[in-house]
Amino acid sequence: MKGLLRNNLYGTLSNAKVFAGFMILFGIFGVAVISQSVQIGYVMIGSIGFSLSAIIVAKNEFTTKWGKYKLTLPVRRADIVKSQFLNQVIWLLVGTFFVGVEVGLSWLFHGCPFDQHIAVLTLFALGISMNLFMGAIFFPMFYAGGEERGEMFWMIAILCAFGIDYTIITILNDLLEPGVTTIVFGAVALIVCSMAAFGVSYPLTVGIFNRKEY
Amino acid sequence: MENILELQQVSKTFPKSNFTLNNISFSLPYGAILGFVGENGAGKTTTIGCILNTIAKDSGTVKLFGKEMLDADTDIREKIGVVYDGDNFPGHWSAEQLSKVMQGFYTKWDDELFRKYLEKFQLPPKQRIKHYSRGMTMKLAIAAALSHHPQLLILDEATSGLDPIMRDEMLDVFLDFVQEEDHSILISSHITSDLEKVADYITFIHNGSLIMTVSKNDLVYNYAVMRCKESQFLALNRSDMIAYRKRDFQIDVLVPDGKEAQRKYKDVVVDHVSLDEIMLLLVKGERA
Repeated sequence: MKGLLRNNLYGTLSNAKVFAGFMILFGIFGVAVISQSVQIGYVMIGSIGFSLSAIIVAKNEFTTKWGKYKLTLPVRRADIVKSQFLNQVIWLLVGTFFVGVEVGLSWLFHGCPFDQHIAVLTLFALGISMNLFMGAIFFPMFYAGGEERGEMFWMIAILCAFGIDYTIITILNDLLEPGVTTIVFGAVALIVCSMAAFGVSYPLTVGIFNRKEY
Repeated sequence: MENILELQQVSKTFPKSNFTLNNISFSLPYGAILGFVGENGAGKTTTIGCILNTIAKDSGTVKLFGKEMLDADTDIREKIGVVYDGDNFPGHWSAEQLSKVMQGFYTKWDDELFRKYLEKFQLPPKQRIKHYSRGMTMKLAIAAALSHHPQLLILDEATSGLDPIMRDEMLDVFLDFVQEEDHSILISSHITSDLEKVADYITFIHNGSLIMTVSKNDLVYNYAVMRCKESQFLALNRSDMIAYRKRDFQIDVLVPDGKEAQRKYKDVVVDHVSLDEIMLLLVKGERA
């Protein structure tokens, strides 16, 4: 597992460094201006962007023979998949850290940018949930549909993740009265649903990957 | 003699491409090099895929170190070094980074040995692999395959695309490797001259089917090609020949025992035969 995680880290790092540079500049801008939409944009981009770099690594491994070569190394196929899921979570945490620092600084300098403090929680939950749904959709599709279509699959995964979150929020808004409880419940629902999808996606991806031939 | 690798009746069909690997059986003893020869598309890479479990075989058995290797048998894969043709590793890595990654995979990864190979092959450790020449990437792959002290090397067209000097260097490395009596190499190639230099056994594959496995000594000392005229060819006993190929003014006949053939057919010219010529006779000629 150590080798797989190191492999994923080296693969992600070069793209993540570029993205981190962008996030720092965007973060400085976000802290400097008072704008709710900039805050929302920063949280969403930060939550998804780093993990997207991690997802792209899986795809890039098949532009060389490395993806096939890895199968000849002393690791199980399930561990290869596990390392990719773990890598996504690691980069989700990195993204959340960036987002947390930016939102924290903005709040410190300008106060809460939202009508209710608790709305920040929903925003974070939305970012994390979209990230997890994206991974949950991407990995099984990627291995089932073919590595050469990786770009198309991550685009579909992002759109689907957005669609699922939007649907959950819409349903909850229709069912529940507006208020703090609804906001908290919505945030919890987003996290729980996306974690469940991520959890189900792992054995599904392993099942698909175990049958793949290279 | 004990075998490090044994294939029994291995078959695999790809319905989309209509290609079938048909009941492949051969074995590789400890301490030996087996050359796996066949034209492009003959089924060499598919066979290697079945050995390494990157492809699921339809039937048959593959035994490595006396055991069928499953996905969970990581201890068996610890003892195997693999080199594929082309880019084995991500281009944005350096050889140093590759070593760090490999350390995480192999319990016996020997960084010092890897650095020795880098020095021997003149590979800059900090340069990105994508800036290496093709020859350098192949050398790197061979260095990586050797640096965890494997017992079995599986090389899929590892020397193709290298110039003759580089190929010769690599063949010396392979010969060094099999000095240890529990080390073996399976090397697939269509560059038959390489195999003539190093292989102890040659397995011929054509169109997904195994044609024959012979020891190189047998090939060098016994196999021969008879250059026959039409009338001489008609007088030959079919059981004496393996394959024949009609050419403009003669018919070349591959025989398993040149001396015996010379004794039996005194007026026919009998020549030594190269692997290239055997392959041509087996692939383009007709089987007797």
